[in-house]
Amino acid sequence: MNTLLEILRDHRDYRKQIIKLAKSDMVKTYKGAALGWAWAIIKPAITIFVFWFAFSIGLRHGQPVDGYPFFLWLIAGMIPWFYMRDMLQGGSGSLRRYSYLVTKIKFPVDTIPTFVSLSYFFVHLGLLLIMICIYTAFGFPPNIYYLQLPLFLFMMFMFFTAWGLFSSLLSAVSKDFMNMVKAVTQALFWLSGILYDADRIQVGWIRETLLFNPITLIANGYRNCFVYHRWFWETPGQMRNFIIVYVVMLALAVWAYKKLRRDIPDVL
Amino acid sequence: MENNNIAIEFKNVTKVYKLYKDDKQRFRAVFNKRIKPILKYAINDVSFTIEKGESVALFGRNGAGKSTMLKMITGVTYPASGEITVNGRVSALLELTAGFDQEFTGRENIYFRGQLQGINDDEIRGLEDEIVEFADLGDYMDQPVRTYSSGMKARLGFAINANIKPEILIVDEALSVGDMEFRKKCNTKINEIVGSNVTFLFVTHSTETAKSFCKRGIVMRQGKMVFDGAIDDAAEFYNNMVMADMEAKRKLKAERAKQKVLK
Repeated sequence: MNTLLEILRDHRDYRKQIIKLAKSDMVKTYKGAALGWAWAIIKPAITIFVFWFAFSIGLRHGQPVDGYPFFLWLIAGMIPWFYMRDMLQGGSGSLRRYSYLVTKIKFPVDTIPTFVSLSYFFVHLGLLLIMICIYTAFGFPPNIYYLQLPLFLFMMFMFFTAWGLFSSLLSAVSKDFMNMVKAVTQALFWLSGILYDADRIQVGWIRETLLFNPITLIANGYRNCFVYHRWFWETPGQMRNFIIVYVVMLALAVWAYKKLRRDIPDVL
Repeated sequence: MENNNIAIEFKNVTKVYKLYKDDKQRFRAVFNKRIKPILKYAINDVSFTIEKGESVALFGRNGAGKSTMLKMITGVTYPASGEITVNGRVSALLELTAGFDQEFTGRENIYFRGQLQGINDDEIRGLEDEIVEFADLGDYMDQPVRTYSSGMKARLGFAINANIKPEILIVDEALSVGDMEFRKKCNTKINEIVGSNVTFLFVTHSTETAKSFCKRGIVMRQGKMVFDGAIDDAAEFYNNMVMADMEAKRKLKAERAKQKVLK
């Protein structure tokens, strides 16, 4: 509990630096390339195109969902996935990437995953805006269900920031952990309800298990806003599941921080 | 017993580095209490007090634990046991080229560092001109630090650390900053800071330089404090210690050579 308060205090005291570092982290990712910011869009665009091509043209499996073209249904899950993927990998590498803040100057280590997360989050906001434009261009302008988007954005950010703290601490101690995360990320993409609707899985226990997967829950939340037009209180089971996994994630993050904080400067 | 005249206090400080066979063992130790590391005592039960305004030299051979001590004073690493009290803004001239964000410009790094030291932006604005002038980087001031040469980084590092009005200044003499002219400038600056009521901690191998800056000397040997007293005595003690070490090593070598011949 005290550790959690300490983490919150660090974030309050260093909020200015966190914002500043988040901005610079974002700039760093894209600066120096001739196309610069365009890469923030080109990369996800190619990924989406590939999946759209494979499913709509190749496998001919892309039936419209609730009156929405498959392509639109797909990007509602893919766009948040890009942030989640970045956090799964980049988040766990954040302490190693910013080791100078750990070993060279006095800086609260617990805020490093936060600003990295924030940096990815800014990019995500940009992509989200583009997605809304695409929906509008296809003849589906923003509707009242978009009002709950900030809630899902908040949930996603909070969960993956906690994950970032937990995983970056373990990655700092062990490169094996970092490699494992990288290997598992790809698997998680296929095991989460991004390319398919986890709600419609026939086998009961698999469906219930998948509905504890935060990636699935977030993707579902986005689709509830964009495609299904459901309010978050209409899926109380999923909200409950999310709260459970979030509390577990946060507890793990606090535990790891408490245990490793003092060792981290010596091992990085 | 509260004494607010204290700048730095070590109370039975011990620092242990945990060495594992490999990273896998280290990772497993996070979850498994039964996996025990090999313990290396970098600092072993060290206690001392440095009062405000004192200037102290820290002697010790390589591996004596000086860097670890300095890192603990700056708050980068933590002791395994014992208590460390540090009162006042610490400015450490340890690794000058480190601790910059490579993508920030020199000027942005000034503000960034300042913020980390707990100085508000207005105050830094007041110091900015002085720092810029001291670093003497010209147009490079507004270029990202990644484009700097190591000498330029060191200059910027020194300029920031020396000019943010530290209350405790730590200088590691092992740093050789830039050319003769800049080094002279640095020495003048250090002298100026030491002259004011700033606590000064100087790490060096050169007993002569230490005598010109400091009044008190602490000698470290293999993690333990072996001497604490007036600078002249400390310098003598350290020199004797080094000589004795060298003598012992020479003897050992001779002994070994002899044995080889006998064989």
